Amino acid sequence: MSLVHINILMAFTMSLTGLLMYRSHLMSALLCLEGMVLSLFILATLTILNSHFTLANMMPIILLVFAACEAAIGLALLIMISNTYGTDYVQNLNLLQC
Amino acid sequence: MNPFISIMLLSTLVLSTMIVTISSHWLFAWIGLEMNMMAIIPIMMKKPTPRATEASTKYFLTQATASALLMLAIIINLMYSSQWTIMKLFNPTASILMTMALAIKLGLAPFHFWVPEVTQGIPLTTGLILLTWQKLAPISILYQISPSINLHLMITMSFLSILIGGWGGLNQTQLRKIMAYSSIAHMGWMTTILLYNPSLTMLNLLIYIIMTFTMFTLLAQNSTTTTLLLSQTWNTMPIMTTFTMLTLLSMGGLPPLTGFMPKWMIIQELTKNESLLLPTLMAITALLNLYFYMRLAYSTALTLFPSTNNMKMKWQFYPTKQMTLLPTAIVLSTMLLPLTPMFFILL
Repeated sequence: MSLVHINILMAFTMSLTGLLMYRSHLMSALLCLEGMVLSLFILATLTILNSHFTLANMMPIILLVFAACEAAIGLALLIMISNTYGTDYVQNLNLLQC
Repeated sequence: MNPFISIMLLSTLVLSTMIVTISSHWLFAWIGLEMNMMAIIPIMMKKPTPRATEASTKYFLTQATASALLMLAIIINLMYSSQWTIMKLFNPTASILMTMALAIKLGLAPFHFWVPEVTQGIPLTTGLILLTWQKLAPISILYQISPSINLHLMITMSFLSILIGGWGGLNQTQLRKIMAYSSIAHMGWMTTILLYNPSLTMLNLLIYIIMTFTMFTLLAQNSTTTTLLLSQTWNTMPIMTTFTMLTLLSMGGLPPLTGFMPKWMIIQELTKNESLLLPTLMAITALLNLYFYMRLAYSTALTLFPSTNNMKMKWQFYPTKQMTLLPTAIVLSTMLLPLTPMFFILL
C-alpha cells in the first residue's frame, strides 16, 4: 500500500477518532462524519484513477450524493435537538438512560 | 402523518432492504443501507417528542458511522481485488472492518449500547420495525461474505452479545428495553453459527422475527410498555395473558415450543464442528434470558399483581385495535417445533 493511500487512511482514522471522542457539541460529530466521507471520496477516486477503471468513474460522485443526503438528515436532527434544548450539547441527551 | 408521506416512507423502507438483498454490486448494497437509514428516521420521529428526537439522533450517529466504515471496507476490497462483486472479501483488513461495521448496524456487542436506548424512545410499532425488518439487510450481507469473516472476531462478538443480552435485560422493567436486550442476545446466537452453517442463521432469523412480531403485536394491543401495565392484562383481555406467557417461553427457548428449534440446531451444528465449550456456555447463558422472560410471564399470567381494588373491576370492552395477523403469529411462534425437518429441507 503506497504512501498516498496510507496518508488518506490516516485522514479517515483521524476523523473516525474525532467522531468517537467528541467533547460537548453534537456538531463536531457531524463534521467528523463529513470528514470521513470526504477521505473515502479521495481514496476511491485515487484507486479508480490509478487502475484506469473508467467504468467506475461515477462511483465517487454517487458516494458524495448520498453523503450529502446523510449530512442533511444529521443537520435536521441537530435542529430538532436545538429546538428542545437551545444548544447542541450532548450531555442533554440523557432522557433514555438505562 | 400525511398518508402520502407514510406510503412513501414505508415503500422506501421495503425497497431499500430489497435492494440490499438482491444486489451484486457493493455500491448498490451500500446505497440500499443508506436508503434504509434515511427512510426509518422520519418514521421514528412520527411524534417529535424529545425522547424520539434523542433516539433518532443516537440511531443516526451509529448507523452513519457504520456506513462510513462499510464504505472504507468496500474501497479497500476494491484496492486489493479491483472488482465490485459481492462475494468473499479479498483482504483481512477489509473483512475485519466490514464485520465490525455490520456488527454496529445489527447491534452486536461491544457495539450494542444504542439498541436499548433507541428502542426505548420510539413507539411500539416502530420498535417492531427496528428490531425485525432492520436486521434483514445487514444479515444478508453477512451471509454473502461469510467465507471470509475472521472466526475469532465473530465468535468473540457473538458470545459477548449473548452474555450482555442476558445480563443487561435482568435489571429492566421497561418492556421495550427488555425486547432490545432479547434482540441483542438473539443476534448473538445467529452470528455464532454464521461461519459454520449460514442457513441456520437464516432459520434463526426467521423464527426470531416471527416471535418478536408476536410479542410486539401482543404488547401493542394494550399499549403496554412497562411490566406494571403488562401485569394488568388479566383484567382487560384475559386471553392475552396465556398468549403472552406462551410467546415469552418460546423466546426463552423451551422445548415443546418453536423457540427451541434454532437453539437446538445451532448447538448441534457447533458440536458437529468439534467445539464443545462454546455451545455449553451459550446454552447456560441462555438461562439468563429465560429468567427475565419467566419473570414477565409470572407477573402477567401466573399471579395477580398487587393493585388497587378499583383496577380489579374494569369493564371488558370489545377490542377495537386491529390485531394484524396475531392468531397466525401466535400459532407460528408456539407450534412449529414438529415441523423442524421441513425447515431443514427448505433452507
